[in-house]
Amino acid sequence: MSDTPSNPTDPNLAQTTGPHVAIVETEDAVERRAKEAYFTASQGQLIWARFRKQRAAMIAACVLVFLILSGLFAPFLSPYDPTIAGRDKDYTNGAPQIPMFCDKNGCSARPFIHGVERERSMATNFRWVTKVNEDERLYVKFFVDGDRYKLFGLIKMDTHLFGVEGGKIHIFGTDEDGQDIFSRTLHAIWTSMKVGTIGVVIAFVLALIIGGVSGYYGGWIDGVIQMITDAVRTVPAIPLFMAVAAFMPPEMTAEARFFYISMILGLIGWPTLARRVRTHLLTERNQEYVLAAQLCGAGPGHVIRRHLLPSFTSYIIVDLVISFPYMVLSETALSFIGLGLKDPVSSLGVMLQKATSADVLLNYQWYFIPVLFFIALVMAFVFVGDGLRDAADPYSDAHK
Amino acid sequence: MLNFSRFVLTRAVMALITLIIVSLVVFSLMELVPGDCAERYLAFKNTQGSGISVEDIEIERQRLGLDQPFLARWGSWIINAFQGEFGDSCILRVNIAQLLGDKFMLSLTICLASLALAYAIAIPVGIISAATNNPWLNNGLRLFSYLGLAMPNFLLALMIMLVSTVWFGETLTGLFSKEYRDAPWDWDKFVDLMKHAWLPIFILGWSATAFALQTVRALMSDEIGKLYVTAAAARGVHGRKLLWRYPARHALGPIVNSLGFDLNRIFNELPIVALILTLTEAGALLIEALARSNDQQLAGAIIFLLTASIVTLNFFTDILLAVIDPRVRKSILR
Repeated sequence: MSDTPSNPTDPNLAQTTGPHVAIVETEDAVERRAKEAYFTASQGQLIWARFRKQRAAMIAACVLVFLILSGLFAPFLSPYDPTIAGRDKDYTNGAPQIPMFCDKNGCSARPFIHGVERERSMATNFRWVTKVNEDERLYVKFFVDGDRYKLFGLIKMDTHLFGVEGGKIHIFGTDEDGQDIFSRTLHAIWTSMKVGTIGVVIAFVLALIIGGVSGYYGGWIDGVIQMITDAVRTVPAIPLFMAVAAFMPPEMTAEARFFYISMILGLIGWPTLARRVRTHLLTERNQEYVLAAQLCGAGPGHVIRRHLLPSFTSYIIVDLVISFPYMVLSETALSFIGLGLKDPVSSLGVMLQKATSADVLLNYQWYFIPVLFFIALVMAFVFVGDGLRDAADPYSDAHK
Repeated sequence: MLNFSRFVLTRAVMALITLIIVSLVVFSLMELVPGDCAERYLAFKNTQGSGISVEDIEIERQRLGLDQPFLARWGSWIINAFQGEFGDSCILRVNIAQLLGDKFMLSLTICLASLALAYAIAIPVGIISAATNNPWLNNGLRLFSYLGLAMPNFLLALMIMLVSTVWFGETLTGLFSKEYRDAPWDWDKFVDLMKHAWLPIFILGWSATAFALQTVRALMSDEIGKLYVTAAAARGVHGRKLLWRYPARHALGPIVNSLGFDLNRIFNELPIVALILTLTEAGALLIEALARSNDQQLAGAIIFLLTASIVTLNFFTDILLAVIDPRVRKSILR
């Protein structure tokens, strides 16, 4: 069934299997131990065992972990500061610089990029033009000192994973202000994670309280709460945002604005989750095992804690994972139309605000590299969510 | 039959109550937008060169009835709104009902068409994905459907436009060709509309597919493991017939129920797509009214119309569900 390590607390098989598995006696001991492990495994172990069997979900999970880590270590992995402070004013709207080993002057064991210089003369029609100097080599170096930052917001550091000697390297190119797109992308991943997490947590707490009350009491309380929930769901989110955005004073700092936006996302996102919590509670409340527990003399507190909560925690976790990408996407869309985050904060929406012109589409395609990361992020979340959903469903083995 | 009409009546009353609650929410939201109509009227005058004073604003407020208490204004607003009368726009100074004209219907049509497209993809794909044993088919279908969600739709719109402009020399912006823009509705105009509208419908529909698919898949996986399906299989029903006649019928009930909210979600995305494709329907007007000119009258009218459509749709799906699902029917006819 599964190769989950058998539970060490009950080594004596004869005692725990009971009479109903007497048929298993003919099978060999290894298989029986596997079965034993399956029947005694905790819910978490079962979900993990089923989740591991789904290849797509596992790949998505790996991608997700990779992205989360790169977001977490963004200040270290990115060579420059993502804000205007880390800009390269000599290389605006610059193309990506891919480190190479060979050029027309021969090969080198160390990867390098070519130097660039800006010039303005009669020949360039008196506009600043960036020119690649193919004779100058800038060698890639690891663990270089650069802009100061705080890792995890705590540890002060100025070492970056990579950089070049005597110049700057932009592997994803730069935007019109000369900010490094690679650095911004990594920070934007982290921003999205933070927005999503705060939004989901707020939505979840609200949903648990509102849906819990609604599902637990039922009756007219449920009716009234459901009507209000439906009313909130009917109001489109964008005008809600606009009205709340009107409250935000323009002098608000980027950080405060960020928390504000994530809070609003959470405040708008609760109805869907609340409905699910309510539905779970309503259906589970009338199940036979709850009745059985009640007949055995269990009090309501015990029933809720030991029977109802475990019956749907897995579903709730799944719902959280599933609603995560929607939070991230709303933030992106809002920032894109200029109602969400503003410039010093790196986020995909902010970065793409300027990318709508045909000029960018035709000439500066590297503006869109971050999009690939976000597609990966959203896809990873959706696939992990689906995988978790299937794994949390105890009947998924029955038909597969 | 009597019971059924009573059910319809209760639903209608509940829909009305929901609409009134929502209208209160919308109206309060519009109050939160800084400044009011009177100031905006006079600010316009100011740009024309005539000086204005605080007294002028007060007089204007009185003329527009803005000095009335909040609830009184809400009351008169909602009574007028139910008669399809939304007053004048603060900025554009034309009658809103006239301004919106068939723009709102146009937006609604685009959204409904996207909704239909989304479910036309999501229902078969969701059922196959939940029932298949073939991991490649399952993952491939899901990958394609979720791509619509993961691709920001403004980007998709941009790319399709670019491709069509560069390679086919045809711009896909707008909703009508020049000669049909002010023409009365007839078949040719409709054909012309469809030639332009497929792009927003496709973009909105694709991004809505992911959510629909997740719902269908989840509901379907829940139903497919149930005993009645096994029982039906044991009786010799199999293949497509088994899926469609047993689990799918039960799984699709909740979906019918949530159509109204899906419409809301799609309409939320419409302004962004409209912005890029330079559509001139209500979504674009909404964003214009809210983000650029703070035109609360116009924005309130659009949002009210939208919520009214959603509530109406919810009302009809509730009735529809009662008609098609015997379990729901039993529970109300008891």
